[in-house]
This record gives sequence, C-alpha cells and structure tokens, in this order.
Amino acid sequence: MAERRVDRVERLTNLLALLLETSQPLTMIEVCGELAGQYPDEERNRRAAFERDKAALRDLGVPIETESNLGQGTPATYRIDRRAYELSDLDLDADERRALQVAVAAVRTDASAGRNAIWKLGGSTAGEVGPVSAVLPDRPELPIIRAAVANRSTITFVYRDEQRLVDPWGLLLRGGFWYVVGHDHGRDAKRTFRIDRFGGSSDDIEVGPVGAFERPESFDPREAFPTDPKQIGHAVGDGLMAVVRIDDERAPAVEREVGSDRVIDRHADGSIDVQVAASNIDAFRSWVIGLLDHAVVISPPQVRSAIMDWLAAVSARSAS
Amino acid sequence: MSGPRNAEERLARLLVMLPWLMEVGEVPLADVAARYDLSEAEVQKDLELVAMCGLPPFVDEMIDVFVDDGLVFVGVPRLFTRPLRLTAPEGFSLLASARAAMELPGADPDGPLGRGLLKLARALSDAGLDAADRSVDDTAGVAIDLHRPPATDAIADAAVIGAELAVTYFSPARDTTSQRLIVPRHVFVDAGNWYVVADDDRSGERRTFRIDRIDDLAATGRTDRSDEIIETPGAFFDDEDLPLATLRLAPQAQWILDRYPVRRRTPMTDPAGWVEAELPVASERWLARLLIRLGADAVVVSPADAGAGAAALASAILARY
Repeated sequence: MAERRVDRVERLTNLLALLLETSQPLTMIEVCGELAGQYPDEERNRRAAFERDKAALRDLGVPIETESNLGQGTPATYRIDRRAYELSDLDLDADERRALQVAVAAVRTDASAGRNAIWKLGGSTAGEVGPVSAVLPDRPELPIIRAAVANRSTITFVYRDEQRLVDPWGLLLRGGFWYVVGHDHGRDAKRTFRIDRFGGSSDDIEVGPVGAFERPESFDPREAFPTDPKQIGHAVGDGLMAVVRIDDERAPAVEREVGSDRVIDRHADGSIDVQVAASNIDAFRSWVIGLLDHAVVISPPQVRSAIMDWLAAVSARSAS
Repeated sequence: MSGPRNAEERLARLLVMLPWLMEVGEVPLADVAARYDLSEAEVQKDLELVAMCGLPPFVDEMIDVFVDDGLVFVGVPRLFTRPLRLTAPEGFSLLASARAAMELPGADPDGPLGRGLLKLARALSDAGLDAADRSVDDTAGVAIDLHRPPATDAIADAAVIGAELAVTYFSPARDTTSQRLIVPRHVFVDAGNWYVVADDDRSGERRTFRIDRIDDLAATGRTDRSDEIIETPGAFFDDEDLPLATLRLAPQAQWILDRYPVRRRTPMTDPAGWVEAELPVASERWLARLLIRLGADAVVVSPADAGAGAAALASAILARY
C-alpha cells in the first residue's frame, strides 16, 4: 500500500488513542495495521518511525507499558493504562487553583514546566502578571533530587571530581543558587552541595532504593548554612570578628545589611563602626573592598594588614 | 509566540487544550489562542487536524471539534477528556513556584495557596512521583529563601497603586548617591537581589533599581496609576551597548562567571584551570572595583587601561588607612 502523507501530530494522536483504547497489549505490527498507511511500509523505516513516536510520547510523560519476552522470540507488546495516564483529581477549589496559577505567573524560570502544569490543572497563566515576581534558576537535576528527598533515597553524584554518596535531607534556594543539604557518607558529616556544580549531566545521578534513611527531626534546610558567606566554615558567633568603619554615605545601607545590633559605635560625622565576621577571609575581603573607600578595617591588626597588603599589591602590580 | 513548533510541542498543547475545550463546550477562538499562548491560525490548524484523527471504525469521529466563524465548538467527548498526568519536572516546578510565591511580599501562607500546595503534594505522592508510604504533605524538603531588604514591602505596595516615592539611591557604577522621584511599577527578585522597575523622574525613563541601595524612602502623596503589564526585564543588567572587558581568571576568581552576565568564556590550557572571559562593563569604576576584589586572581587582557584604573582606585582606598 502506498504511504499516505500524514502530519506527524495526527499519527502521534492516533497512536496515543489506539494504545489508550486497546483492551489488550498490541505488537508493533498490530499497531501499524490499525494505523494503516501512516507508518512506512519498509520494515526498518517502520521500526525507526515507531520507536521515534514511542519516545516522543514518553518524553511528554505518557506512561507506555512494554511487555517483552525476548527469550521466547515473541515480539514486545504495548499499551497505556488509562488510570496511569490521566491526571488524578486534585480536588482543587477555585481559589486554590487561582492561587497556584498566580504563583506560577509570578515566578519566571527558563523552563515552561510550571505553565504546562497549570494548563493541565485547567488553569492558565495568561494575564496573571502582578506587581511582584521572582526569577528562579532551573536545573534538570531538581525533580530527581526532590523525589529522592521525598522518597528518602540515597543519591550518588560527582562533585569536585569526586564520587559522593549522600542522603538528601532537603533542597534550598538561596542567593540565586540551588543547594542540596544532606549526610555525606564519605565524610560522615552534614554537607551542602551547589547543584549547578554537580559533575556530568542529570542522567548521571544515581538514585537508590526508597526509605534508605531517616531525615533528622526538625531539619530545616534554611538553617543548614549561614546566610552570610563571611561566616561559612564557622558556627555563628564563633570565629574571627573584625571592626570596620563605614562612612556616612554608606552607613545607612550597611547598617540595614548587617543589622543594627552589629553597630558598636556611632560617630559625630555620621560614620559607624560595625562588627562583622571575618572567618572566611576571602568573603570578608570581597565585601569590604566592594565598599571601596567608604570602608576601612579598624581591627584586628592581622585582618587590617591583610587588606592593606592586598590593596598595595593591586596598586603596585598594575602600575608596573 | 515562539517560532515554528515541532510535532511534540503541538501534541502537548493539544492534550491540555482538548480537556478544557470539552469542559467549556463553546468558546471564542481568540480566547483559546490567548490562553494557550498561540496564534489563532495555529489553534485552528491544530484543532482541524485533530478532528481528522481517528481509529477504525471511528475514523474522523474520535474527537468532535470544529471551528466556525471565530468560535470553537466541541461535541460529545470520547477521548482525551482528562489531561495527562503531571510529569516530575512539572510537579517540581509547581511546587517550587508555590513555595517561592509564599516568600513574596503580601503572600498569605495560610490562604488558598497553602491549601492548594497541600493537595498538590498529595496528588504527586499518589502519582508515584513522591513517597507512596506518606499520606501527609512533605513539601518541607524544599525551602526557598528570598530574604528581602526591609524597604521591599513598602515599594511593592507603592507599585500596586502607582504611588510616587522620594528616594536616595546609591549607584555603585558611579559611586555616588542621588535624590530621585520614582513611581514603582514592578518588584522582582533575581539571583538573590531585589529590584524595582520604576518610572524615574530624573532620567525621564523607566529604570531598574536595586532595592538594597535605596535609602530614605518617603511617599510624596502623588499617584500615577498604570494598567500597563510590566514583567521582569530579561537580562536587564546586560545591555548590548555596554563596552566589553576581557579578563583571564584563576579558579578562585571564577565565581564572577556565576554573578555577572558573560558573553564568552574559553578554558585555558596555560595556566591550566584558568578561563578567559568577556563581560559587559557597567562603568570604568565598576570594573576597577571588580579588579581590586579579584587581586592577582584576574589578569586584564583588554581594555588596556583597566589595570591602571584599578591601581589608582586601590591607592585611593589605601590612602584612607
């Protein structure tokens, strides 16, 4: 039979309908027989086209079940369980659906997954833009790790060229980056990993069996590490503190940033002295130099001289 | 609307569109197009195509839909009455968006959003995307920290009604503070920083300001409402007209590749681990400040005078010690 020119959307729709409607699993030959004229006649081309369609449907999330008895020499059969295919009823009230669609409209990511989800729930994000929004970075690893957190499955991934085995306790978005916090088996300690620094692709993350660990009670990812990078590597309040004088121009903003409880002195000219963590000297230096000549390190002497040496080196290096 | 669509995208859109159409029965073509971010021609083409789909003995009768005189009609539904289940990325995206929305100014975690999120978590669990042995909500494993400066809420409130604010603004690019009158239009958070898009009296233009650099905010009492829909500007800090700098960066300095928009990056073999990167420069002073922070971990390739600018600024800071 001559091949009819069929739009691929039509062929995909028919394949989907057939596998949903069939009362018993079908072989590829049976599928092509039902969809007469839509798949190529030549066997290799037909197989390739069928495999491509099957992969396309699976990519959309269609749960195609395969039964194969390779040893028996019988061909594989396919069907779709309608209950698995269909969205379960979320039983959302109108205001709840509306709230979710406003939430999705207010959050921009690089992916369209959120908008698709709202469409599936019967809503639409069109025209929902409000006066406040957030931009969230999107990472392909996130759904995998999120499922592992919920299922309490141990995950294996590459980080800093090293294989890590981690019980993921939670995910945290902070400062524009996604982190996974959990128990690192190799270190036998709690560790935090930035997800965009995972080695390899999301397919390289291995997920272990369900229920492999218990998350510590009252664990909150937000408390897993300090918000202030100047404190990373030390417990809060336990570490090197430095006193920095901030001039009148930047004083209000810095006071807001570090908190009024960190202001230890206020001067007549409007400048203030603030006490800030300097345990992480790289983060401290970056912060204090970022304030340019609006900030001067007063004490302790070793921090003050470290900053002065750094400035002198930049001044000398570029001048030469 | 985005360029030519492939078969997978068209099918995915149809599978969400059809159940909704079956529920509403009759709807203007223009509404369908707006709702699903398509042109009317695209909607019509795909609906007419799907109307021709069918299996023997029901060829052409499987999906009873037709478009006439700008209206879409859907007959007795047989197939695709329910949407396809959520995929794992869709479930995650919904969850993350809802949690993020709860961190935005004005959110009510005990309101409909929180309840909707609970139902969603349960459905994801039922769908096998989450732990099957948990009947309770387990959204606690995903936390979103959008810590905001105290002024954010007042500015967001001003954006709702178009209230004019008198502010003092610090600009690091020029290292100066200025007094300005702004009418906030949209408040957003990106990469951990909060911004306001506002009509700026001083420049006569719509500008984006970082909220943590706004001091001394006061309402003037004037309002200028706008019904214009203002969205988050895309890559607002990366202006095509900005001059470029080329820097060589040691591994310790490569955090700037995450922080600033980078046009081009090339790994280097000598020294190994370094990269050469090209990035837009907001101002000479901004570049000098960046170079001082990076110290010996960055080497300037161009512009030639950037190193001298950094040296002069470093000397000026040192003079305060």
